[in-house]
Formats: sequence, structure tokens, C-alpha cells
Amino acid sequence: MMGLASYLIISLILFVIGITVMIARKNIVAILLGIELVLNAAALNFVAYSRFATNNLDGHIFSLFIIVVAAAEAAVGLAIVIRFFQIKETIHVDEATTLRN
Amino acid sequence: MIQQLLGFLSFYIPEVMCIVLMTTLLVAEASVKEEHGSRDKIYTYALVVLGLTLIPLLQNLGKAPVIIFHNAITIDPFSTMIKIIMVLGTMGSIYLSRSSKDIYTNLKSEFSIMAVGVLIGGMLLASSNNMLTLYLGIETLSILSYVMSSFKRDDATSTEAGIKYALYGGLTAGVMLYGISHLYGMLGTIQFVEMIPKLAALQGGDLAIVMVSFLLFFAGIGYKVSCFPFHMWSPDVYQGAPIPVTSFFSIVPKLGGLAALVRVSMIFFANESLLSVSWIGLMLVISAMTMTVGNVTAIGQTSVKRLLAFSSIGHIGMMILGVVVLNDVGVRAILFYGVVYMFMTLIVFYITSHLSDMYGTDSQDVFRGLIYKHPLMAVIMVSVLFSLAGMPPFSGFIAKFNIFSVIIEKKYYGIAIVAGINSVISLYYYMKLAKIMVFGQPDGEEKISGFTTANQAIILALFIPVVFLGVFWDKMMTIAGDATIFIK
Repeated sequence: MMGLASYLIISLILFVIGITVMIARKNIVAILLGIELVLNAAALNFVAYSRFATNNLDGHIFSLFIIVVAAAEAAVGLAIVIRFFQIKETIHVDEATTLRN
Repeated sequence: MIQQLLGFLSFYIPEVMCIVLMTTLLVAEASVKEEHGSRDKIYTYALVVLGLTLIPLLQNLGKAPVIIFHNAITIDPFSTMIKIIMVLGTMGSIYLSRSSKDIYTNLKSEFSIMAVGVLIGGMLLASSNNMLTLYLGIETLSILSYVMSSFKRDDATSTEAGIKYALYGGLTAGVMLYGISHLYGMLGTIQFVEMIPKLAALQGGDLAIVMVSFLLFFAGIGYKVSCFPFHMWSPDVYQGAPIPVTSFFSIVPKLGGLAALVRVSMIFFANESLLSVSWIGLMLVISAMTMTVGNVTAIGQTSVKRLLAFSSIGHIGMMILGVVVLNDVGVRAILFYGVVYMFMTLIVFYITSHLSDMYGTDSQDVFRGLIYKHPLMAVIMVSVLFSLAGMPPFSGFIAKFNIFSVIIEKKYYGIAIVAGINSVISLYYYMKLAKIMVFGQPDGEEKISGFTTANQAIILALFIPVVFLGVFWDKMMTIAGDATIFIK
């Protein structure tokens, strides 16, 4: 029988992987994937707490909203990435250096 | 059931009007012909409906606070005041976008769609009463803002601003959600009010987890108000985005975030406890760092947009000081600051927009010798810069004075000294700009053209509150005096 702790550990691992990807990878699409991992870590937490600890449906509702919002965010993010690619012909984040002091 | 819903909706008229406006604008924009007149009609329609939302908002201001939609939304005078400021700011930015060359002609009416969408998110955020509405408000605000910042879609800087905003926003939203998920697990609910007694009962390890969770939670709000560790996106986005968008960003999303910060602080940390003391400590450090970073970095900037971005970071640091005291006087000081800041920002961006359209650059040189080219513009701009720096008799002085008085009353002398030093620093770079305008010699004999009577009337109308709120500020404070936060 798996308890709350195992879910929390998995979600912590997801969270750390997501943050690491966002910091370490230079490909903008990979960074967007990292954001998805972090959001999913939070959603997993919500469902696990809802099932094992709090005994109400708030967590389930919240995770549904997270999925919806994550989709919207990815759509807008990818649209901007496509514009960026059409202008710069690269999706390397180090190329985004026009705006500096 | 239906009756209850209608009862709820009667308090929710402003938001419903904005939602209807956004939908109808979408349809109207899709069916618009490429003739000259029809776009003007869309603009007039958007501005008129936004103006009409002020009527139910002003009515709500007088009503007793209520909780609607099953504890999801709270309509209290505080949130209504924030909404009024946001609606006025949106109207100003939409009007500015009409004449600005920074927005492509075929995207002009899309600007108002996006702006109204962000406004809806801001309204949701300002009156959120549980974690879900707070999260949805922040995301509605952010996702549309990403689109707005990359509005000049053939321009490399604008797209880059959009990318930076989106990646940074996604990161902080994720971190904030992770914090909220642990708060939910520890406290067992997402309703603000039900969390309060459970917070008080926490002990030992649980309290430590909750403290870390609040820290993660702060990332999301801190990114929206662009305070110290999360401010890096702000100058880049301000510089890359078109000017009407920049002026919009410095009003609506910031005030929305600030409203959420004020509400969360007042709800969770008003009672004396270890949690509250550490939150106050965090806020003191953050506001001191925000002010210092914003004002010190602003000194060396040559681009006016970038300068205004750093100056707005400095102002946000000042406004956060009103949160530190955690009482109604502080909330009132923040509201007054918000109103005054909105008018000042609109004027500054209005003038900058016209000049940068004319010369095709946003460097400070466009202001050189402005007093010889257009005296009215120069006089108003210099006065507003004085007001931004917090000099009497303008309203910026009263706004800063209110903040100082609340923190000194609570005996936070150290932070008051930091804030004072920062005001002096900000005076330096504002006056540098004013000096260029008044004492700089213009390059040629050419005058400012195309600044029509209507434009002059608009900046004069916006300028009147900046002067009069500095003189008759007690009237404004009486209105804001009832704008307390309702906790139920």
C-alpha cells in the first residue's frame, strides 16, 4: 500500500527536475517542458493530499484547473516561440540578448 | 438557486460587463472591414463600455462588503477601489494605443481585446477569496500579458520581451502552485478564512513546512508586482513591449498583484505570531532591496522606457512598505499611492509615446530642449517628474508622506531611513531628465507637430488630479478611508 509520503517524494523529484531543466537547458521548448513538469508536480501534490490527508474535493478541482491553465500557457508560449524562431531562426535562449543595458 | 445566483450577479456587474465587452470586441474585430471608420467605432465602443463599468463600481463602493459565489469572491471597498484604478488605467492605455505608431494598424483593435482580458484577470485577483481564484486571477493576468508584450510581432525586441516574460512567468507560477499545494495539504482547505484558525494551531515541523510554502507562494505574487528577486523581467519587458503596453503593464498587473499581496498579508498575518513576524521581516527586506535596486539601477539608463521600468520597481518597493504595518491605515496609504501613481504613469507614457513616435527612438535625447519645442508638454512633464520624485506640492509627495507616516508610527525607523535615501536617489535621476528638457539646447528649430488639441486636453485632464490630490488629499482619503479589507 502506497502512502502519502511516496507521492510527495515523487512530486518533489518532479519539481526538482523541472527547475533543473529550466535552469540548465538552453532550448526554449525544453524550458517550456520544464515548466510543465513543475506544474504537474503541484497537481500531483494536490491530488495526493486530497486522497490521503484532507478528505475533500478541493484538491481535485484545483488540479483540473491546473491542467486547463497549463494548456493555455503552453499554447501562448509556443506561439511566441514560433514568432521568435521566424525572426531569429533559432530557439536557443542565449540568442535572446537584444534587451540589455 | 436561480434567485441566489442573480443576487450574486448583482454584485458582479462590472466583471460581467467586461466579459461581455471582451466577447463582443472579438466578434466585432473579426468582422471589421479595412476601412478607416470602423476601427474608430470599435475604440469608442470599448471606451464607452469601460466607462460605464465605473457606475456599478462606484455603487459597489458604498455597499456593505459581501462574499459571493460560495466564498470564492469577495466584493469589499478595497477591491472595488483597486478595480476603479485598474479600469481608469485600462481606458488611458487603450486611448493611447489608438494614436501610437508602436502598435501595428491591423492589430489596433486587438489591443483593446487583450487589455480588457487582462483587466478581467486583475479584477478576479483583486477580489479573490480563496487560493483557486487567486491562482486563476494571476494566470489570466499573465497569459494575456505574454501576448501583449510580444505585440510588435515582426520586431525582434518585442518577441524577445514576450519570451522572457512567458518563461519567467511560467517558472514563478509553477513555484507558487507548488507552495499552494503544500499549504492545502497542511491546512486542509483552499478557503482563506478556514485557513486562519488552522494556521494558529500549527506546531513544530508543520509550521516550518508552512513557512517554506508561503515563501514559495510569494514567488508568484512577487513576480507580478516585480519586487526584488523577481524583478529581472521587468526592464526587458518594459523596453521591448510597445509603449501603450508598457504603460498598461505598469498599472493593471502591478496593482492586481499588489492587491493580492495586501489581502493575503492582512488575512494570514494580522495576528501576532511567529509566522507573522517572519512575514513582516521578509517584507521589510524585500521592500528595502526592491527600492534600492530599482532606484540605483535607474541612474545609468539612457532609454526612457527602461528608466521608467526601474523607477516603477522603486515605487513598488515604496508601496510594499504599506503592507508591512498590516493595518487599515497602511492599506489606505497604498490605495492613495496607487491612484496617484496611475495618473502620473499615464501622463509620462503619453508624452514619451508621442515623442518616441516622432523621433523613432526612446532614448533620453528626444526630450532635449522640449521646453522650446512644446512648452505645455514640457511644463507638465517636469511637474509630473517632480511629483514622481515626491516633491511638494504635488500629490506624489502626499503619497510618499502617507507611507512614511504609517511606518514611523509603527517605529520602523531603519526602513524609513532607507526609504528616505531612496527618495533622494530617485530625485537625482528624475531631475536629470528634467534638466535635459529645460536646459538642453534643441538640435534644430523644429517644433513638436501633431500633438493635437484633444491630446493636450487629455494630458491636462490627467494632470489636474496630480495637482489637486496634492492639495485636497483629505477628500480622497475620506473616500479611501472606508476601503478596508473584509475578512469572512
